[in-house]
Amino acid sequence: MRAAHLVENSGERERRVDLSPTVEGGWCGRFFAMGSPCEVLVECTSGSEAFDLVGLAATEAWRIEDKYSRYLGGNIVARINSAAGEPVEVDEETSRLLGFAATLHSLSGGRFDITSGALRRVWRFDTGSLVPAHDRVRAVLSLVGWHRATWQPPVLVIPAGMEIDLGGIGKEYAVDRAVACLRDVSEYACLVNFGGDLAVTRVPQRRKAWHVGIESLRGVRQSPEKLIRLEAGALATSGDTRRFVLSEGQRFGHILDPRTGWPVRGAPASVTVAADSCIQAGTLCTLAMLEGDGAEHFLRRHAGKFWVTREES
Amino acid sequence: MNERMLRAASALVLAAALDGCAGLGVAAWDRDVLARDDMQLTPDPVEAALDEHIYFSKEASSGGRGFGGGGCGCN
Amino acid sequence: MTKQHGSGLSATLATATCTLLGTAAANAVLAEEADDWDFDTALLYYGESDGRVQDASLNVLANRQFTDDRSLSLGLTVDALTGATPNGAIRIGEAQTFTRPSGNAAYDIAPGGLPLDDTFLDTRYALTAGWKQPLGRLNTFGVGVSASSEYDYTHAGFNTQFARDFNDRNTTLSAALAIARDEIDPVGGTPLELSPMLDVGDLSNRRGAESKEVVDVVFGLTQVISRNTLVQVNYSWSDASGYLTDPYKVLSVVDPETGVTLPRAVTPEVVGPSHAFLYEGRPEERSKQSLYGQVRHYMNGKVLDVSYRYMTDDWDIDSHTVDTHLRWPVGTASYLEPHLRFYAQTEASFYSPSLPAGIPIPAFASSDYRLGRFQALTAGVKYGWRMRGDHEMSVRLEWYQQRGDVPADMLVGGQSAADVYPDLDAVIAQFSYRF
Repeated sequence: MRAAHLVENSGERERRVDLSPTVEGGWCGRFFAMGSPCEVLVECTSGSEAFDLVGLAATEAWRIEDKYSRYLGGNIVARINSAAGEPVEVDEETSRLLGFAATLHSLSGGRFDITSGALRRVWRFDTGSLVPAHDRVRAVLSLVGWHRATWQPPVLVIPAGMEIDLGGIGKEYAVDRAVACLRDVSEYACLVNFGGDLAVTRVPQRRKAWHVGIESLRGVRQSPEKLIRLEAGALATSGDTRRFVLSEGQRFGHILDPRTGWPVRGAPASVTVAADSCIQAGTLCTLAMLEGDGAEHFLRRHAGKFWVTREES
Repeated sequence: MNERMLRAASALVLAAALDGCAGLGVAAWDRDVLARDDMQLTPDPVEAALDEHIYFSKEASSGGRGFGGGGCGCN
Repeated sequence: MTKQHGSGLSATLATATCTLLGTAAANAVLAEEADDWDFDTALLYYGESDGRVQDASLNVLANRQFTDDRSLSLGLTVDALTGATPNGAIRIGEAQTFTRPSGNAAYDIAPGGLPLDDTFLDTRYALTAGWKQPLGRLNTFGVGVSASSEYDYTHAGFNTQFARDFNDRNTTLSAALAIARDEIDPVGGTPLELSPMLDVGDLSNRRGAESKEVVDVVFGLTQVISRNTLVQVNYSWSDASGYLTDPYKVLSVVDPETGVTLPRAVTPEVVGPSHAFLYEGRPEERSKQSLYGQVRHYMNGKVLDVSYRYMTDDWDIDSHTVDTHLRWPVGTASYLEPHLRFYAQTEASFYSPSLPAGIPIPAFASSDYRLGRFQALTAGVKYGWRMRGDHEMSVRLEWYQQRGDVPADMLVGGQSAADVYPDLDAVIAQFSYRF
């Protein structure tokens, strides 16, 4: 690490960007945002220019985190979730996000649902957790469902006890926003990677493509990491399969179907999708995971390039 | 150790290992370290082949790790 | 999805994204699995002290990944060998003369000198090709061929491997088979085993080319022990049959009292061996087994590799090999890797540093130091560094030494171990470049 510059201090976790040169002759800026390690690669020779660009991306990431994180109080999400049935008027950006979520809800037949956060109250995916009883799930299910919300832009009404969570699309949205910001101010080729969801501004001059490695899950077979050459567009990966519940030898994955309140059966271990924007890639990932056994079939119909890995026994 | 003993010992080691292997291991998402280039069992196959060739020419043992690509009339 | 059919979903998603981001995506996505060629090249120098063998080789291994984890590998090695190698005769206080393997000339060794034959100026070419692919979700299958050629030796081989994953891919069982056929066409013809070395021009005890067949079988078990540790255990069995003798090696026939090589009656005007030497002869069959275990462990950026191999065969040779590497990161893009290898073997049942006169000539005998009892040590270090574009370079320098351990009862008369066993000191230097 060559240079570490303090950008801002927001209390809980120090927000700073660490810049270091890459072996390709460019720069890599690292910071932490939205619960993930983030990095921005910039293909330029000047360290100070690279730092400014990374700072731009980081600032946008932290802005979105502050505005939409459910862990921080006082933001629009906290206001909506504590409105107790009262209407809330939202700003233009939030309106666009809610509109997107609404479209996705109908597009996916109800599988994609930003009000499914309440299920977290009964499903805890730490190791050693128990499968909740059926009536507990049924009880909390009455607090889940976008169809119970009234969305008349720019006013949102959700029943008391329900809550929204934009964590499912927040990171991908931030990647696309950061890429747009960078593209507005600079001609340099940049790659924005927030915890595995990434997009590029343009194709790099030197190597003709960004090389992204998807960690191979082929066990100990010594087969090399899958390398993707990305010239334009975005990649998103879903499947943080760290979390599951084991009950009577059956593993319940952590992808919950909001229509039933139960985990999706047969969800793949991980899905990676390439698409024009990170939001599109991330959405296709999530929808594929929600298809469980039918993930590959879904992706073959609706996505371009994709890679699915399944756990084997 | 003579040959019969070696054969028996090997069979036992492999059987015990395989039996003890069930349940041993890590979950798929914990394979990050194992996926590293320098954690491969033979990180440098060309070097391994070159060494195998040298030791095959200078000693009476060969292989064990796998087997080489070919013999030679080495002196 | 039951609600939307065809790519209506992706079109709707694209439109929805446009609305969300306020702009259309700047470019359509372009993502491809990289299926380039990977090259692994190395230049190796191996050099023994005292004017003995020197070897320089160029090696290239090319690997091409195809989609769905299929791969093709091609390898080429070019090897140039010079220098002299011990011919199996013992060192004595007098000068010695030997007939060259070709039978066309002779060479002299100074008194007290280790008898070395410098006939071997040779270039060897070797090719390998292999194909590997998955077979279903849990299995891998591979086939390959190998071939090599030098002026007196050719090799052709075929190999195949199969592996299967178990236990959530934590355990892998593998089996491999290799068969090879080698042909030896010694310079001057194959000498009759345990027949005397004759005068220059006398090829009466020679015959034509010979061959041998080798079958190798390996069974392996690889197991993930923990997030940082990997273990492999292999059992191998190998059987070689045919001509296994070294046609260029002899044994000295010595006086049973003094241990000095018996002189040979030399006809004037005829050039020939100065002393009594017999060509060596080995059995026509050799069956080997070995058990190998390896542990690779990651600790805080460093990687430790320790392996052990036990080998035993029906020539009565037993060997132990302990090999360890420690890869130590230096900065973010390079590493240092010290290496230590210890090897010990016992002698073959028919190994004999020299043959005392007066006893019946045994069925098999060889004084080749490689079948003797010795310990060997390799110590070295490697330095590697990553460059732009994922290229990697490395250099390594190692010392290899063998020290004989001749059993006292194999020494005849006044012989000392130093007379009858040619200790070896060699340096290994390698430069490699992967791109």
